[in-house]
Amino acid sequence: MTADKFKLSLLPIASTVFGIFILMLIVFFSASLPIIQKEGLAIYTTNVWKAVEEGEEFYGVLSAIYGSIYTSVVAILIALPLSIGFAVFIIDYAPKKLKEPLIIATDIMAGLPTILYGIWGAFVLVPILRDYIMKPLYEHLSFIPFFSYPPITGYSYLSAGVLLAIMVTPFASAIIREAYRMIPKTYREGAYALGLTRYEATKTLLGYIKPAILAGILLAFGRAIGETVAVSLVVGNTFNIHPSLFASGYTISSLIANQFGNAFIYEYMPSALFASGLALFLIGLVVNIAGLLVLRRWRYAR
Amino acid sequence: MLARKIKEKLFLVAISVATFLTILPLFHILFSVFANGLPVLMRGGIDFVTETLAPPDSELGGIGPAIVGSFVLTFLASLIGLPIAVLTGVYAAEYPNSPIGKAVKTLLLIMMEFPTILVGLFVMNILVLPMGRYSAIAGAFALAIVMMPYVAVYTEQALKEIPFVYREGAFALGLKRAVVVFKIMMSMARKGMITGILIGIAKVAGETAPLLFTAGGSARIYFAGLDQPIGAIPLLIYTLVQQPYENYHQIAWGASLVLMLIFLAIFLPLRLSIKEVKL
Amino acid sequence: MLILVLALILAGCTQQSKPTETKTEQTIYSSGATFPQPQIEKWISLYENVNPNVKIEYTGKGSGGGQNDFKEGLVDFACSDPPVKEKLWRELEKMGQPLQFPIIVGAVVVVYNVPGVEELKLDGKTLADIFMGKIEYWDDPAIKDLNPNVNLPHEKIIVIHRSDSSGTTKIFTTYLCLVSGEFKEKVGSGKIVNWPVDNIGRGLGGKGNAGVVAILKQTPYSIAYIELAYALKENLKMVALRNKAGNYVKANEDTIKSAISAIKAYIPSPEEGYKEDITQFLNADGEKSYPIVAFSHVLLWKIYPKEKAKAIKDFFTWVLTEGQKSENIIEGYVGLPKDVAEISLKAVESIEGI
Repeated sequence: MTADKFKLSLLPIASTVFGIFILMLIVFFSASLPIIQKEGLAIYTTNVWKAVEEGEEFYGVLSAIYGSIYTSVVAILIALPLSIGFAVFIIDYAPKKLKEPLIIATDIMAGLPTILYGIWGAFVLVPILRDYIMKPLYEHLSFIPFFSYPPITGYSYLSAGVLLAIMVTPFASAIIREAYRMIPKTYREGAYALGLTRYEATKTLLGYIKPAILAGILLAFGRAIGETVAVSLVVGNTFNIHPSLFASGYTISSLIANQFGNAFIYEYMPSALFASGLALFLIGLVVNIAGLLVLRRWRYAR
Repeated sequence: MLARKIKEKLFLVAISVATFLTILPLFHILFSVFANGLPVLMRGGIDFVTETLAPPDSELGGIGPAIVGSFVLTFLASLIGLPIAVLTGVYAAEYPNSPIGKAVKTLLLIMMEFPTILVGLFVMNILVLPMGRYSAIAGAFALAIVMMPYVAVYTEQALKEIPFVYREGAFALGLKRAVVVFKIMMSMARKGMITGILIGIAKVAGETAPLLFTAGGSARIYFAGLDQPIGAIPLLIYTLVQQPYENYHQIAWGASLVLMLIFLAIFLPLRLSIKEVKL
Repeated sequence: MLILVLALILAGCTQQSKPTETKTEQTIYSSGATFPQPQIEKWISLYENVNPNVKIEYTGKGSGGGQNDFKEGLVDFACSDPPVKEKLWRELEKMGQPLQFPIIVGAVVVVYNVPGVEELKLDGKTLADIFMGKIEYWDDPAIKDLNPNVNLPHEKIIVIHRSDSSGTTKIFTTYLCLVSGEFKEKVGSGKIVNWPVDNIGRGLGGKGNAGVVAILKQTPYSIAYIELAYALKENLKMVALRNKAGNYVKANEDTIKSAISAIKAYIPSPEEGYKEDITQFLNADGEKSYPIVAFSHVLLWKIYPKEKAKAIKDFFTWVLTEGQKSENIIEGYVGLPKDVAEISLKAVESIEGI
């Protein structure tokens, strides 16, 4: 009887978390409704930002969706080799004394206030990328679509992608490292017994933890796509859809951060922004659940 | 044979480069913040930490209101979020097999990854607009939502790690469940829980997005009341970085240094005293 | 840890209460246009000496942001360059009686960052063509014709505009619509417009006048529109625009005053602020007149809680009398014409506290 009482008394509090979550969903859905009723799916499939106070407004956040996905993909393309390499280094190669400090370093990076990444990104990283990477690439290789946009200020998908990569690598690396560490010794010993070089052995072992790597990448993607402040300071904030890495653009989170301050004088803008927030939420949800599922299933399968 | 050896060497190089590239930004950031922020703090002296913001293109002024604001917000967020988070963690640990327990666990993991800007929008909708003003309480509430999953997950983990033996013993002694959990288990899980709480605090002290449309920001006023706008260091930095004035950029670096020091002061001792961190 | 936090809060609170031990302090929150912001900041810091018991917070986020905050009741007053539109005014009327009146006169200037070019003349049509994206290079014949002695480089023109809802944009685009029928058709005017240059990769957006300045400074071969005060403070190169009389003028105190003296400004009753015409000073007559001159306004309610009403009335009475004196006006702005200041003052006097 007492057990039930305890459970019952805790239940409302535990459900608060649920409550907040459901409330968030309700708020987002209901706030997005007006624009969806007005434009249908065009809110997501077009790139228009016609903000008029007396007349026909029209909003399409395709540019932001494109930018969010583009920058996050760039981020994980960079983060993937880095986090795998880092994980392998720590487990297999690092001298004992280095292991702990390296892990602590990445933990600091994972928890560091994102605004610090933002200010560093805007004042330090962007000029470096612009002058040493973007300008030379544009001068010589601009026939390649990825390099075809003139890098003027340096605020671009590339800058955002690199900054995001720096931010999510520690995170992905932790997951991969954990999985890599837990591979039973027998597998390692077996590989070396067969005469494989370290490189080949590592390749085999990594193949063994593929699901964990996938999970790490998915969760890193989820984190990258939701990042706001750091990205909005380096991505350029223009309604662009361009294949070049050097083009500036928008991401959903930076669109919201930029435009929400003046949204309410326009009849449909708040709704448009909530709708884009909803899109962000759904993408993030799908990716994170996928990542968690892959991780959970892999952990239980062992 | 040679090919394999070469691949081997190349691999080692690749791995080392990867490690270097992963860690380098941290040191570069730390260095940049120090190099740019320290001169500002030296010039400003103690005034930098206590005074209010100067007009554009003039002297430094200070970031006093932002610092006070950050502390107030973090404190309030903890007040709101910690009890709920801890108790939720307890529930998840005590009843891991109940449908709600399982769902809560998954939900917490999802909420940890939730874009924080959306949390800010949500709180704006339900608190700021009805109240008719940006407020400390709205900002704190948004931060509390961001903080809760971390603290809850850590609490749950810490409780789970206590060997079953102690629970059995406590029950065997005839103690009620509530007493068992709160008095016995939580004091044993104290270290893990405090870790979680401090991680949560360190995280929200550095958050910007949840505050963008809730706290309002304040450059001249330290603390006007719970239902009035309030500043915060990350928010201030975000605003200043986007201005072109040189003195504002310097203030931003100085504020960044202050923020970084606060963060490291909480995070480093914490991290050094435990074995593993889940972020 | 908690003790540390509590101690700091107490320290903060006592810091605040020390200078005001006798009277209760009044805080006024405001936000809005970045067009008048430098002047407003100056007024606020001067007023702090006049009346230390009143603390005023102003956040610059664009006229749209200010109107937004005012409508949502998030600030006590807001500053907007263009008058509020009728639709929004009607919605405000549902919440109370809004008041709107001018507080300062400013000018929108065109600035550029072209290394090696120190003087540049443009006329309305060419300007519109540049901002529409029709003119691509700095050495385009249209620009060359107007500037025969200038060494223009063969570089693409990067157009910088505002990314937020901006009164400066509204003023500028309204002017461009006046001088170019094509611009009116293709782009129109507004606080936010769809800039054609964005789609062809030559457009950049900045937040606030300050944001635009920041981008201009780091972007060679760019052109932008900002308020005069920002151009003066940052020593930016300004374009000499062709006015209605055919002369090329740069914005300064004389040319602005010439524009406003050419017309008797029509200021509607502050209780019907939406009726004001933003074009009245644009492309003004007069040999010396600068073509892009505009008022900046403040949005207030007629009724406030007692203490706040007094604080607001005192502040704005000061702004409209002492604040309009030339020693208190910073470079880039011009005080209101006497009769306009009268109308504004009367509106302030009508504010009631309950």
